[in-house]
Amino acid sequence: MIQAFCGRMAAAFTRALVPALAILSMAFSAPALAQSAAQRAVDAAKKICSGKTITIVWEAGLQSLDPLNFSGPKWEQLTGCKIKVVEVPTAEMFTKIMQEFRAGTGAYDALNVIPAWMPDLVQAGALENLESYVDKYSYRAELQTIAPTYRDNQMTVNGKIYGFPDDGDVFILYYRKDIFARPELQKAFKAKFNDELAPPKTWKQFDDIGAFLTEALKGEGIYGASFFREPPYTMFMFQERFRVEGGKFFDAGTMKATVNSPVGVKVLTEMRNENRFMPPGVEKFGFVENLAVFLDGKSAMTISWPPYGRFAAGYLADEKALSWVPKSKIANKVGYALPPGGHPELAAGFALSVASTSKQKEQAYLFIQWLNSEEISLQRVQLPYTLRDPFRNSHYVSQEYMARWPDAKDYLAALGEGAKTGLLDLSLIQTDKYEEAIRQGISKLWAGDDPKTILDDIARQWDEITQRVGLDKQKAVYNSWAAKSGAYPK
Amino acid sequence: MTPVPVPRQGRRHRDRVFRLALVAPSIVVLLLVGVFPLVYLIVVSFQNLTMSDTDTSFQGLLNYRLVLTDARLWQSLLHTLIFIAVALPTELVLGLAMAQLFIERIPGRAVFIALLVLPVLVSPIVAGATWALMFDNRFGPINQILGWFAGEPVSLLWTIKPSLVYAAILIAEVWQWTPFMFLLLLAALSAVDKSQLEAAAIDGASWWRTFRQIVLPAIWPVMAVAILIRALDLFRLFDIVWALTKGGPGTMTETISMFTYVKGFQQFETSYVAAVSLLIIVLLSTVVLWTLKRVELSR
Amino acid sequence: MRRRRLSTVLRTAAAVLLTMLFLFPIYWLFMISFKTAEEIFAFPPKWWPSRIGLDSYAVLFKDGDATTVANSLVIAGASTLIAMFLGTLAAYSLARWRTGGEHLANWIISQRMVPPIAVVFPIFLLYVFLGWVDTRVGLILLYTAFNLPYVIWMMRGYILDIPRALEEAALVDGLTPWQVLWQVVLPMSRAGLFATAIFTFVFAWNEFIFALVLTRTEVTTYTVQVTHYFGGQSNFWAKISAMSVLGTLPIFIVVGFLQKYLVRGISMGAVKG
Repeated sequence: MIQAFCGRMAAAFTRALVPALAILSMAFSAPALAQSAAQRAVDAAKKICSGKTITIVWEAGLQSLDPLNFSGPKWEQLTGCKIKVVEVPTAEMFTKIMQEFRAGTGAYDALNVIPAWMPDLVQAGALENLESYVDKYSYRAELQTIAPTYRDNQMTVNGKIYGFPDDGDVFILYYRKDIFARPELQKAFKAKFNDELAPPKTWKQFDDIGAFLTEALKGEGIYGASFFREPPYTMFMFQERFRVEGGKFFDAGTMKATVNSPVGVKVLTEMRNENRFMPPGVEKFGFVENLAVFLDGKSAMTISWPPYGRFAAGYLADEKALSWVPKSKIANKVGYALPPGGHPELAAGFALSVASTSKQKEQAYLFIQWLNSEEISLQRVQLPYTLRDPFRNSHYVSQEYMARWPDAKDYLAALGEGAKTGLLDLSLIQTDKYEEAIRQGISKLWAGDDPKTILDDIARQWDEITQRVGLDKQKAVYNSWAAKSGAYPK
Repeated sequence: MTPVPVPRQGRRHRDRVFRLALVAPSIVVLLLVGVFPLVYLIVVSFQNLTMSDTDTSFQGLLNYRLVLTDARLWQSLLHTLIFIAVALPTELVLGLAMAQLFIERIPGRAVFIALLVLPVLVSPIVAGATWALMFDNRFGPINQILGWFAGEPVSLLWTIKPSLVYAAILIAEVWQWTPFMFLLLLAALSAVDKSQLEAAAIDGASWWRTFRQIVLPAIWPVMAVAILIRALDLFRLFDIVWALTKGGPGTMTETISMFTYVKGFQQFETSYVAAVSLLIIVLLSTVVLWTLKRVELSR
Repeated sequence: MRRRRLSTVLRTAAAVLLTMLFLFPIYWLFMISFKTAEEIFAFPPKWWPSRIGLDSYAVLFKDGDATTVANSLVIAGASTLIAMFLGTLAAYSLARWRTGGEHLANWIISQRMVPPIAVVFPIFLLYVFLGWVDTRVGLILLYTAFNLPYVIWMMRGYILDIPRALEEAALVDGLTPWQVLWQVVLPMSRAGLFATAIFTFVFAWNEFIFALVLTRTEVTTYTVQVTHYFGGQSNFWAKISAMSVLGTLPIFIVVGFLQKYLVRGISMGAVKG
């Protein structure tokens, strides 16, 4: 009997041994595998950065509260490495980065760059190639878990890594689900259009719904929709809509601009017609004007970046830094969907890079790896004052995030969808010149000019720019952009 | 009292040293900051520095040829001239009228003067943004006020419609800089000989006659400089236009400084902008110097 | 007597109307610093806030944004003082003796014909070389240089207005030219000095492009700080407004105190002749 008992004991012991050994082996295994990328960055930084100061260029205003109040102090606490934030107004960021680079000052170590600028910056030599650092600190695995559209489109130039996508900027359709649910409106809409009153899947549906609602809700002062129609913002919307309706920016063979195709004319004409059912003066609406109208409950649909969703939900609205956001009257009444066409623009966005003239490149790299890592980025996108939107696969399914407000689950689902089907901003050499032509075209559109004339002029300007840059050079850059998954809808 | 006899040459020499010593420090400061940029501009204008190209080889007159054929450049010059041609006389006349108003004592004059200086003190960027908000169709008071007068909602798109954009910009600009003329001319009017004015009044001269023959010559030295300075600054008109229209619709309200900003600052066409700048400097110098020759600045 | 009284009443009424017109945008901007976000973007527009609270101002001080106003004060103030001093001296020389003739005077004013955008980058390069980027000294020197042409030409005009007889009498009395300048000419041109100084200060105060390029973090000026509040995805109107009020207040107070010299200068015109 003792033998059996001992046997059973031995068996039990053996059974417990394997897991125990496994646990022990994991505890003692090579740190690089069990540790997170964030932790690796911290440990390495402690050795080479302690006592030093790195400068990072960040968008001034709300965005920079992240490194000023959260990530900067935390990094210093963990590694002894100080972070100096150079706040630059959005409109001047590119210029200051280029100027400091051209003057060779080495004043900036880490950078925030908008992905559309990356070809220009890399061409000029201002950004550091990050491949070797990524390998040294084993960051490739965590780079893979960034949502596909950002990962595949906003990280590399000529196949090499120059920045870490750090902001899930995408256009989402926000709609008043309470208005859409009103029975009398549903009945009337069905009678008129023989279609359900639901978030529009095509632009024709959008136009119908918008006009219908403006008429029906006149008494309440509510409009079917409102957008930020100011040229810089509409420039993004045009890029999206043009491609969703089948347009191509250039002929891939000749590199001639084809933006003045019938698709372009259709898009511009429809856009101007839509203004008729939007608040008068919508042509001048910027981000905040449009937000004010939406949060005031006066528009039933709008398309904008992810922050609208958080602001509309009143997420931590008492935060001091958000005092400029009008109080939301529509919390819990907002639904989220992809814009008509189902391929939202990944408008602007941000990536973290290292300046090529920095004298502390490795230290700067470790900071951005840490910022961008799974663990830290999840915290950063949930900061109450953040403008950084979810951009990693894990963000979209984070239980913590979903608990933030009742509809957060749907919000994250919409963002996640957008991250799969999103369209990349056009990004070539001297992108700003091409964008400028569109911006000016939009302002002429609002002034009343003929769409075909406007587009012909844009196409002419584009061809001139291409000539000046060098047709073959630009063709190569365009084709490598067009080869990316997010360049044109599949 | 008889002057102390001093060897004539010695005194002359001392005087000349004194006069030169007065201007010397200013000249040094101006040279320090002015020489290198000018040299840089000239050198760079013959190269082909762009955003992606740092090739510093000599390119001859490439940029200057481009300058001559750039329609957008010349249009922006035209727009700038239009702004100057309308804003300058308006500010001058309005400022002069205001100065005449305040030259005689009225209760609380000191307060009025201090308050009327405020528009100039607001940063042009903020002034532009404020006017943009005021001109906004939905959120601004201007269309609201116009609506009260008209009896129905007024929907003027001040910063979008071609027929209104120039008016909007000029209103904001004249608002901000008339106080400049006002204050300078107020100080100048103080130099007018009051006894002469009284004599003219006794003689029964009309207001216009008095103004033309006594006041104007007296304030001319200051007024002329004020006009010159204001014209040169209007040539650099930027912030108000940028805030209101960004040069739109299209490039309809783009001024020359906005053009150079976009080309040089945002798009890094360094060499091209250098050529443009030298062109501007030459143009301005020619016009101004020609005007100065024809106009007598001192009495 | 009655005509005088009527004239005064009319003039006062005109003054009030004029001031209201010119001050309306200032009023609108000022009110924003008290409004809530909903009130700033209210439809129809709200003309006054529901409560007057100093929160926006408190935030500026708490966050340290208000120090940029101090930076601007120091830089604009110092450059104004230096430019006024050097410039008035030069103006006197040009006015009385046409020193350097036309050429010098024209060269001086031609400095103001150089488009700032064009020279921003070369000056940036120069400053990198001199180590003056992000320093107060750098900006002070630059603004002094920018304003010298203005000061010189304006003061030359004001000095030309003063009859030489007084100076010649003073010289005969045995004063040195230097003393003549300080004891006779400057007091007589006080109104002009004051008017010129105000705008020299204003030009330096409102300058943006050079302040943007030549500073990074240490010497941010108030004009650059205000632009931080205009974001692509945010717009801190309350801060913009409060900052502008803070920025305008110092010079407004100074003008308020010193404008009596301007006014006195006006009535002193009666003493001449």
